Amino acid sequence: MISSLHLDDIANEPFDGSRESLRNPWLLITKGKSLRSIWAYTVPIPGNRCAFARAVWMPAFHLYQHSIVGAIDVRDPSKCHSSLFRRFAISIALIICFGLHVIWGSSLRAQQISGGSCPELSQSSGMPFARQVFEQVVLTECYRCHVESGEASESEMVFQTPRLGFTESQRQVIKQNLDAIEVVARRRESGKSVLLQKVVGDLDHGGGQILKADSQGFRILSRYVASLDEPSSVPSDSKNLGSNDFFRNVERLNHQRLLRKAVLSLAGRLPIESELKQVSEGGDVELRSVLLNVMGEEAFFDRLREGFNDIFLTQGVDGNPDSTVLSYEHFEKTRLWYQKYDLSHIEDEKERRQEGYRLAREYRAALLEEPMRLIEYIVRHDRPFTEIVTADYIMVSPYTSRGYGVFEEIANRFEDSEDPFEFIPVRLAALRGRQEKENQESQTGFYPHAGLLSTLQYLSRYPTTETNRNRLRARMFFQHFLGIDVLELAARDSDAAAATERYEIPTMQASECVVCHKILDPVAGLFQDYWRFDRNFAIYGKRHEGWFEDMFDAGFNGEGLPAEERWRALQWLGERTAADDRFAIAMTRHAYRLLTGRVPLSAPSDLEDPRFEMRHRAWREMQCEVERIATAFIQCDYDFKELLIQWVMSPFYRVDGVAMASLDENRMLELDDVGVVRLLSPEQLERKIFAIFGKRWGRLTDQTAILYGGIDSKEVTERATDPSGAMGAIQRTLSNDVACRNVAFDFSRPKAERILFRSIETTTLPNESVQSDVQIRKVIQHLHWLILGREDAIDGVEVDRTFRLFSEIVADAKAAGNFDSREAWSCRQGLLSDVDDPHYTVRAWRAVVTYLLRQEEFLYE
Amino acid sequence: MNKLEHGRRRFLRRCSLAGIGLAMPAHGEELDTVKQTELPAYEGPYYIVFNAAGGWDTTYLMDPKGVGGINRLYGENDILTEGGHRYAPTEKTREGGVSNESFFQEFGKELLVFNGLDYSVNNHAPCSRYMATGKLDSLAYPTFAALVAACRGQSCPLSFLTFGNYSATGNLVAMSRVPYLPSLKRIANADSMDGNVNSPYHDDFALARIEQAIDQRRRERKLQSLLPRQERAESMLYAAQVNSQALARVTPHIPDQLPKQRLAQQAEIALTSFKAGVCVSANLTIGQFDSHANNDRDQMRLIPELLEGITYVLHRAEDLGIRDKLVVIAQSEMGRTPDYNKGDGKDHWSIGSMMFIGPGIVGDRTLGKTDEKQFALPFDTKTLTVNEEAGIRVRPEHIHQALREYAQIESHASSLAFPLGVNEDQRLERLWG
Repeated sequence: MISSLHLDDIANEPFDGSRESLRNPWLLITKGKSLRSIWAYTVPIPGNRCAFARAVWMPAFHLYQHSIVGAIDVRDPSKCHSSLFRRFAISIALIICFGLHVIWGSSLRAQQISGGSCPELSQSSGMPFARQVFEQVVLTECYRCHVESGEASESEMVFQTPRLGFTESQRQVIKQNLDAIEVVARRRESGKSVLLQKVVGDLDHGGGQILKADSQGFRILSRYVASLDEPSSVPSDSKNLGSNDFFRNVERLNHQRLLRKAVLSLAGRLPIESELKQVSEGGDVELRSVLLNVMGEEAFFDRLREGFNDIFLTQGVDGNPDSTVLSYEHFEKTRLWYQKYDLSHIEDEKERRQEGYRLAREYRAALLEEPMRLIEYIVRHDRPFTEIVTADYIMVSPYTSRGYGVFEEIANRFEDSEDPFEFIPVRLAALRGRQEKENQESQTGFYPHAGLLSTLQYLSRYPTTETNRNRLRARMFFQHFLGIDVLELAARDSDAAAATERYEIPTMQASECVVCHKILDPVAGLFQDYWRFDRNFAIYGKRHEGWFEDMFDAGFNGEGLPAEERWRALQWLGERTAADDRFAIAMTRHAYRLLTGRVPLSAPSDLEDPRFEMRHRAWREMQCEVERIATAFIQCDYDFKELLIQWVMSPFYRVDGVAMASLDENRMLELDDVGVVRLLSPEQLERKIFAIFGKRWGRLTDQTAILYGGIDSKEVTERATDPSGAMGAIQRTLSNDVACRNVAFDFSRPKAERILFRSIETTTLPNESVQSDVQIRKVIQHLHWLILGREDAIDGVEVDRTFRLFSEIVADAKAAGNFDSREAWSCRQGLLSDVDDPHYTVRAWRAVVTYLLRQEEFLYE
Repeated sequence: MNKLEHGRRRFLRRCSLAGIGLAMPAHGEELDTVKQTELPAYEGPYYIVFNAAGGWDTTYLMDPKGVGGINRLYGENDILTEGGHRYAPTEKTREGGVSNESFFQEFGKELLVFNGLDYSVNNHAPCSRYMATGKLDSLAYPTFAALVAACRGQSCPLSFLTFGNYSATGNLVAMSRVPYLPSLKRIANADSMDGNVNSPYHDDFALARIEQAIDQRRRERKLQSLLPRQERAESMLYAAQVNSQALARVTPHIPDQLPKQRLAQQAEIALTSFKAGVCVSANLTIGQFDSHANNDRDQMRLIPELLEGITYVLHRAEDLGIRDKLVVIAQSEMGRTPDYNKGDGKDHWSIGSMMFIGPGIVGDRTLGKTDEKQFALPFDTKTLTVNEEAGIRVRPEHIHQALREYAQIESHASSLAFPLGVNEDQRLERLWG
């Protein structure tokens, strides 16, 4: 029923990130690897790296490659001469490039490392008062309606949306916006400023009362109006917002610790010695290089999928996905393929049944994975991340392609056609219904794929109802892809009941409702042909009565959907989304969440809050950084890896503590949200245990994972951020049990293969000699780095404390006298060789590891 | 920065440390002085907040109308009364659960209803937040359940339990999610292998040394310069680990048979934790009230299910001997429109109701009122009557202010850190009777 088209141009050979390649990037060229990966490895330029490299280095590499190939072609001596000449010319070009690189790169690096990424805020004069007013009051109270796509688009005060980039055009837009408000503020009616009258609901203000006359917001606007006539009336306490470096007195991680943190976060492993050395010697430049390498590892893609599922929650499709994602209407004959799969070669009935269960289980799991595999594919192949809304393909595996009915056509493209989790890109043909009238309209014959937006999983996860009218989908679209919580636009005191009653179509007429619906409903209309909500029956299908007339017409951002584009409405939406600066901002925020577990600060809106000024400053700095990184993201052709690198290099990710013993209260309020300090999720914790000990604990699964703050993507969709007592209990169990499983086991390994105790034996006792104590302290130092990521001095206070713990336990045991000369039974199972414990040192080391595993540096990121 | 704000800031920093206070062992360098002080059991009052998520139809429960096409399942003459309550008949129309008739007959005497609550807006997310916290325009405020947990028993290992709905904590207390009661058994004795107290991981002296080292380190870290997030995290982590030992108290109370109904399952976890003295408050949630498609069918299934859940809680609390310390609040983030939409559904309506039962709450009363079109009538906060001239629109912040006063936490530093901005003359001082 379904046919497919191969997308030969989609599949790039992935970069393997091998060590050999790292040392000799030229090998990559001769092996036909992606050039993008090569220059990313070899041209680590801070700041606008991508644009620079594309403009200068890539052509140079091409030329140089040709010159090398020519130079070594000894079969044709005539080429040697010319190639030598070419090599000379190219060498000159490369020198020029290098010079530009150094000049440009160093200036960008200086900006990047120093923080203070907010150009306007770092000016000594601070932010102009008018701009403050705009950000603190107008942006939160007026902007939502007074924009071109807003309800007040016909009014005299319409604001423009600034483009990203700290550019002249951005400054122009800001100026226009300030001018727009100034005009209304200056205009008088009955002797009073129109602005001040409108905002309290007078002069027939369409939005009704926005601020009360005794509110802080109104007071700020009043001061602003007064300042127009009398500039000296600008309040002095508002001039210095952001006049100093936001990160003053804040300590940052050194490169090695930063690398450890990032590698653990992104790839669930510890950095190897050579990587640490590399960043230690090469700083930011080498850090970037190592991170790019890490982002080629499989574990990174696991983390990527996991992190984005926390956002999109597509794993949370209700019911069996072979029935809900693949509907009866369009996949009736293929979706339950596993029920007819020939397993007759398995003679034992029970085994055969089990195999059938496995097929179904893995098929369903693969179906749920498809959307996140799309993200993986885009990132793995360095494709523009805009493809999450524009990709004209989906990802299928051998199992899921059977469900779609396209397996036979693409079977030869799989490396292993029985691997349920090998995914390749495929473009589906337009859906065919059981009756011709239910066939999907398509001018190309293909399903109009629009990245995640049009996947059947996304549409299933966020279904519609007769009365919801695709508004949930529209809301999620804004939240996921543009970073806008539309519902919050209306979160202000009003009388919704009266508004609802007063109008025939409140969503199109009542200002309280229109503020959201004018934005939401056009996008809901773009989903109009996915109008089936009988679970198990169909997802695609047109509404027989035509789309609703009591809704704003289908479109986006004030632009209507042309009738001829309706069949590909989601593609139309995806194209506009990709071109919208807010997409880059939203993805930048997603990347931050992926790295830190929380969303960047939102603008504070409670002007009455006495902490508003500090909270606003903190938000402004964060917003500035988001905008800076989003700009770099766009300039790098939406390279998601670059986005992550930018965040890792950002002071917001690098902060590690405060340098001064005490900072004033306001300063601490400003820094309230600064620093990653993320309680590791169950999945991350398991990966960290694996990275450190070489094996997972394996118990942070299912209900224990939920108890430990995990999510199920359905009912529980937000991860816990602080540990409850139940989580504290799990941490205790974990620390006890992981130490139990690993300490004696490590001693049972051949010494050279040990992870924890490579330089010590169980017979080494504390307080017996200087040498033995140094040995013990070195092990402790190693454990502190390995488990906690701390670089403690051998005679430092932390090592002292751990040494004391170890030695006191040994002494206590000796004093007690009567103890078993072997480890506890449970902790000596599965050893590779006998490990006796006549001095109680194994158990003391176990206590040390338990102690370390309970600390914040292990349990948090 | 004013003095009050200085105080707030100091408090916010302190309150992140406060969880340690009760649980802090008596310190000493010598091992024999390092003994864990057993966390005292929290003995009430206990708070359960029921959330009818999606928006309940109050005209099918405690604010009946039966006129103007508001209700298709009954007429004005069918409205029933029980003491001070008027309610809609559901005995014949309900699908399972507990009817209004049964509920009001059994609990009417102790039930306080407030009708005509003005949610102000009618979108799920802002309304949920508003109802849960009393603050519409801030994402930072804690829910009442979290706030009371922070004020009353921050160091309890499961101080604030939540099963969904809006559950922000304001960084005052950790939220706990317990999906399945027996899962607590597995972690209750965390220092023993497989929870078997006869098989400890460490000898007592070794474990005591570990605790001593952790405690010393924590004390020294407190003296160091830390970012606020670091300080909070370390404090909460320490408190979580130390206080977790009190979880062992839960296991004796875990019943052999667990209920099958979804609300009863949540309730059982909360009540068991209350009984064990490890929990202060719980957010219980039942969803799918958003009856845009078929209002009467959905509401007749869900309202009885909600009442069944409340009934279960009150009965079970009686069995456990904690009924007299239990406060039950039932709410929803919005109501349903007076009119049916073009289908058989009802859409969002920004006027609704709440129900309360608890010690010190005088029942058999219905306060507040809506008119025949389901609009809220102005309410006099002093006389507790409708007053068209001098009354106000009672909104969630008014109710939350009253709840704080009822729980005697309105002057607690945690409450002061999150002011509701309710003027003195608008306070519902005699709401509880």
